Amino acid sequence: MAKIKNLKELMIPITDYPNMPYWATLEEAIVLLNFSYETAHDTILVFDESYGLIGVLDQKEMLRDIHPGFSKLSPKKVSDEWEKLIATHNLDQLKKPIKDFITPFNIIVDVEDHVLTAAHLMLKHNIDLLPVKESENVAGVVKMRDIFHEIAAFILRF
Amino acid sequence: MRSLLSIFKKIKFKKADIPKASPPDGTSFKERYDCFQKLLADNNSILETMADMEEKLSGDYMFDMHYVNSKCDILVEKVQSVIENLDSLSNGEYGGLYDEFEKINAVIKDTLAQKIEIPVTDFTIPFEDVTKDMVRSVGGKNANLGEIKSRLNLPVPEGFCISAHAFKRFMDYNELGDKISVASLDPVSMAELTRVSKEAQNLVLKARVPSDLEKSISDAASELERKAGHRTSGFYASVRSSAIHEDAQFTFAGQYKTILNVAPEDVVSAYVEIIASLFTTRAIFYCKSKGFREEDMVMAVGVVEMIDAKASGVMYSRDPTDERKQGVIINGVWGLGKYAVDGIVEPHTYVVSRDVPGTILEKNQPVQQDMLICSLDAGVIDTRVPDYIKRMPCLTEEQVITLAEYALVLEKHYGKPQDIEWALDLNDNLLILQARPLRIVAEKRSKSIPRSLPGHKILIDKGQIACKGVGAGKVYFVTKDEELKSFPEGAVLVAKHTSPKFVTVMDKASAIITDVGSLTGHMASLAREYRVPTILNVETAMKTLKPGQEITVDAINRSIYDGRIEQLIEAGKAENPFEDTPVFEALRAVLKSIVPLNLLYPEDKERFSPKYCETFHDITRFAHEVAMNEMFKIGEGAHRKGEAMKLHVQLPLDIRVIDLGGGVENGSGKITVDNITCIPMKALLKGMMSIEWPGPPPVNVKGLISIIATTTMLPNPEKAFSEPSFAVVSREYMNFSIRLGYHLQTLEAYAGDSINDNYIRFLFRGGGASHDRRARRTQLIKKILEKIDFHVDATGDVLDGRVTKYDRITIEKKLDIMAKLTVFTKQLDMTLFSDDVVNWYVKEFIKKHYAEETKPDT
Repeated sequence: MAKIKNLKELMIPITDYPNMPYWATLEEAIVLLNFSYETAHDTILVFDESYGLIGVLDQKEMLRDIHPGFSKLSPKKVSDEWEKLIATHNLDQLKKPIKDFITPFNIIVDVEDHVLTAAHLMLKHNIDLLPVKESENVAGVVKMRDIFHEIAAFILRF
Repeated sequence: MRSLLSIFKKIKFKKADIPKASPPDGTSFKERYDCFQKLLADNNSILETMADMEEKLSGDYMFDMHYVNSKCDILVEKVQSVIENLDSLSNGEYGGLYDEFEKINAVIKDTLAQKIEIPVTDFTIPFEDVTKDMVRSVGGKNANLGEIKSRLNLPVPEGFCISAHAFKRFMDYNELGDKISVASLDPVSMAELTRVSKEAQNLVLKARVPSDLEKSISDAASELERKAGHRTSGFYASVRSSAIHEDAQFTFAGQYKTILNVAPEDVVSAYVEIIASLFTTRAIFYCKSKGFREEDMVMAVGVVEMIDAKASGVMYSRDPTDERKQGVIINGVWGLGKYAVDGIVEPHTYVVSRDVPGTILEKNQPVQQDMLICSLDAGVIDTRVPDYIKRMPCLTEEQVITLAEYALVLEKHYGKPQDIEWALDLNDNLLILQARPLRIVAEKRSKSIPRSLPGHKILIDKGQIACKGVGAGKVYFVTKDEELKSFPEGAVLVAKHTSPKFVTVMDKASAIITDVGSLTGHMASLAREYRVPTILNVETAMKTLKPGQEITVDAINRSIYDGRIEQLIEAGKAENPFEDTPVFEALRAVLKSIVPLNLLYPEDKERFSPKYCETFHDITRFAHEVAMNEMFKIGEGAHRKGEAMKLHVQLPLDIRVIDLGGGVENGSGKITVDNITCIPMKALLKGMMSIEWPGPPPVNVKGLISIIATTTMLPNPEKAFSEPSFAVVSREYMNFSIRLGYHLQTLEAYAGDSINDNYIRFLFRGGGASHDRRARRTQLIKKILEKIDFHVDATGDVLDGRVTKYDRITIEKKLDIMAKLTVFTKQLDMTLFSDDVVNWYVKEFIKKHYAEETKPDT
């Protein structure tokens, strides 16, 4: 009987993931994710100068930040506002560093932890991406979709 | 006024200096840098001297052997100095250069020492013993006459030569060689020329003919009188110059003296007079201007029985104005031939067909009023032509045809058209007095090339001419070395920069154009060697010209035309009037040991080494290249030094400066950017301060965002550099090892007044991200550097880039861009997820920091 995969197997190594230093601009981040479209990556890991992992930047956050107050607009006004933004080339937000937009990581799992532990933490903290450490250092991240897929495969075998 | 503190600081510095002042090899930075500076200066003067010498080969300048010698002396001294300085700079690592230098120098010395050996012969030699191979012994004219007498059996007057050996005896006996010096004479200064000439002639005329020589001449004259006695009553001689180079390739027509109708007892004094004519202003000028060496000024003399000619003249075996015309041309006058030669009277003219026996095709027999005849008491006199002959032809038809036959025999024997003097003696014997190669006057081409040709479009009219001439062909861009391999025959090489590697196609290229380059650079020198018309510093050729476009490069007026213009190409074919002169040959020969460049590829470690140096150019290029590498290493030892001063600057960098002299003003301890006088460092710091550096760490409402953990997925888990960055500087030089994030970069630059000295070198390695991303950053830097004209080698995460030979301002501009690049690429490797991302960043950098147009992507 096939065993459920462990976190080490499910983890995406940091070296295969889009990374950025916190001082990169929002524009750079959009460029990076745009070029990473084919790889299905939808988030960027953000580091400091000494390669300390400090947070993540996701697509929703980026969209939110392109237009200040985007999420607060009424649904009817949104398209007008966007057109205005594009027409005036008023894209100052794009020049802002991503450090202002990242979601910090507050929890981390160990590579030896069970997949279900990771799933549990993600549900508890309402996140889709969780850093994984190995010997006290960040080695990669696991995604909810991969964990879900693994659990689903496990269930569907019955 | 110095404060106590500053004095204290000084003392402290000094103290720290003593044990650490020198790198482990014992040579201080300062000493090494001084060597480097000297080497650069010598390198420049070598290249300039070489350029000057090559320029002389164009034939547009007058120069003499003194010039060649003195330039070679300069080169020998400078090349030696280059080797010595490299030796000090590299701690004797390239000692092998001394051996190669000695070998090359020996060849040069040999080449320069080659002067005419005057063969040891008798003082006098009868014509029947003389052949044309004896030019060095008897001079050109005598050798020819001897040849005609001894080998062709044509009628020639009796006579003898006073040999070159006799000349040497005369000169040595009177120590005239030391007293007369025309070696350093400037032939352009008429006053000096006149003074030297007068002095020399006086010395000769006052000199004594040594008794052995005098006896030899008198004996030979008596013997001649005896032999010629059957022909004349009362023997007289004609005494003529026969200088070593006279009548060889150079006519020296009329430069030296001929004395007619000399009594036997006066032959010796006539001899001295003719020797003196070697030093007339005219003759010295001619000699100098035609590029003969002083050593070549050797005079033999011919003593020929004076033919009391009834008629005489000149004939040409072909028409000198048109070689294609068939026919021997004979001119004749009554009396002595001088009037025919000098064109004083209108001669009788005959044109005879070239078959044997010939037929007279044309004749013209004007009436002759005056003639020159031998005077009864020596000398010659002008007299009226007696009435009974003045309307008669001076030659019978039979005599005309015989002379034509002689002319054809002479032409056949010498293999060249001949210019012949003849005489008819009182007994109607025809005699050949002299024969020499006929100068055919080539069809005169218009040498002046118009500045612009109406109806033709000038594409570019900028730049500097490195090698004169005109060439046309299709434009072929060379942006990479590999492109040289498929260089089409006859194309015009167009490139951004000069490169010595272009030599590999110089036999195919019809012209070379570069946007940037130095007239005294390696390539310019090679272009002159290969005589490829070349224009440098055109600035816009790569933009204006299109590959495959047919153009005409006028490297005389500095114009580049659209299309192929035959008129210009034809006009550009310059003839070199000095080509065959001995001094020209000496220069050409000696340049063979100086100019050719064999060390073309510094990356070929095996062949780019002292043992492959065959010329001074090779040694210089090798030394310059290696010296730059040695200097580059200077930064490696910088952190071990104690003499560094901290630079107080608003940059997140800990910079320590070591001044080699002139790089920092006010060495009192605390230095700021304003104290930096080092040109490259100033430009770099200015650039670094003009760009925004990564901002402060992120905060959120709770304060500083904490790192959850640090990654160890770095393939090279070295820690970020926290050590200071060291800059070794002088006024023009900077060697700056920057430790930034996880990479190390060394930026070295020289920005002085001489383009040849200037360069930037950039070494970059390392990074914090995975290997593929680090390699992408290297590629990114490579792409940007190539846009600003660097030559870059990049493997993995190591990059070595270099740009050379730009003026100071351009070097400063490039450093400004590099400063921005340094900040821009700090830890950028982290981000470089794919090649597409790399390309985006390249464009972004160009857009933001290098707005000027760059060359198109290839």
